[in-house]
Amino acid sequence: MPLSARGRQVAGELRGATSGVSAGVLGCEVVRHDELCVGCGRCVSACPTGAMRQDDWFDPAQLFSAPAGTGRGALAAALRRIARHEPSGPFRVPDRIRTFRGILFSADLCAGCGACVRACPTGAVEALPVPVGDVEVAPRGLAPAGAGR
Amino acid sequence: MNVPAVATPEARFPQHRVPEISASGVPVSEVIADSADGERSIVAFLCRECAYSAADAAGNARTSLPPTIRTIMVPCTGRVSPLHLLAALAEGADGVYVGGCLEGQCHYREGNFHALDRVAFVRRLLESVGVEPERAAMFTMSAADTPRFVATARGMDATISRLPRLPRS
Repeated sequence: MPLSARGRQVAGELRGATSGVSAGVLGCEVVRHDELCVGCGRCVSACPTGAMRQDDWFDPAQLFSAPAGTGRGALAAALRRIARHEPSGPFRVPDRIRTFRGILFSADLCAGCGACVRACPTGAVEALPVPVGDVEVAPRGLAPAGAGR
Repeated sequence: MNVPAVATPEARFPQHRVPEISASGVPVSEVIADSADGERSIVAFLCRECAYSAADAAGNARTSLPPTIRTIMVPCTGRVSPLHLLAALAEGADGVYVGGCLEGQCHYREGNFHALDRVAFVRRLLESVGVEPERAAMFTMSAADTPRFVATARGMDATISRLPRLPRS
């Protein structure tokens, strides 16, 4: 995923910003690994553009793909022993259930800042560098002579 | 290890604590180990302040309770997580229920509301994998309300005895 339109806009507004190619600089590609997500919502509160959102539904399939040794994995192991069929689709979670809420990611709103990646305690959000070919790299340093007068 | 000549009440009725139940689930199978073949078992998580006192009073009054009920005392129903309920079902219980304080009378302010929502969550989770949601329930009662404790225990026993045994893989 190259830099989104919104990301390009934010990048253009920042003085001295380049379309960086390393994670942590504006312009990385954000990839979510739902099986590692524990639903803590830190990415949601860290997100400056509202691209990460916590919703009031939960998909049990996410539980079943959680790795063993985690709390969600233990829950899935217990559920798998008594299950009669594969989990059906998402359902609404009650009000006080916080850590079992689905997290929605909107690539259109994402500025690629990587704040969610640094906030995530389990490494469920990953920042990938944008392939260099996809980005129009602005020349660093001084503008070429004759420009901007 | 010295074995006491006379079994102490603690040895005959071991106290099961919540953290032992969570991950491996072995103590839950211990809790229900004495149930006969074909007999269903129901694990009840009872809050120390209200439901457990009511259960205690029922015992002191020598009220007969369904033999399927196994009780586990918890400090507050807010301590019960979805994992406790599902681990009990996976380890051999046919039904689980949580007994807590009346709404608004939790000794830790809102633990029973957390438990209510967690039980509702577990019920939806069970429904999504084709298991009857009635196998998990939540009841609230005051510490003095022994008749309500007996009624809910008998009601839960009647509900579970109508359902087939829970198959486990």
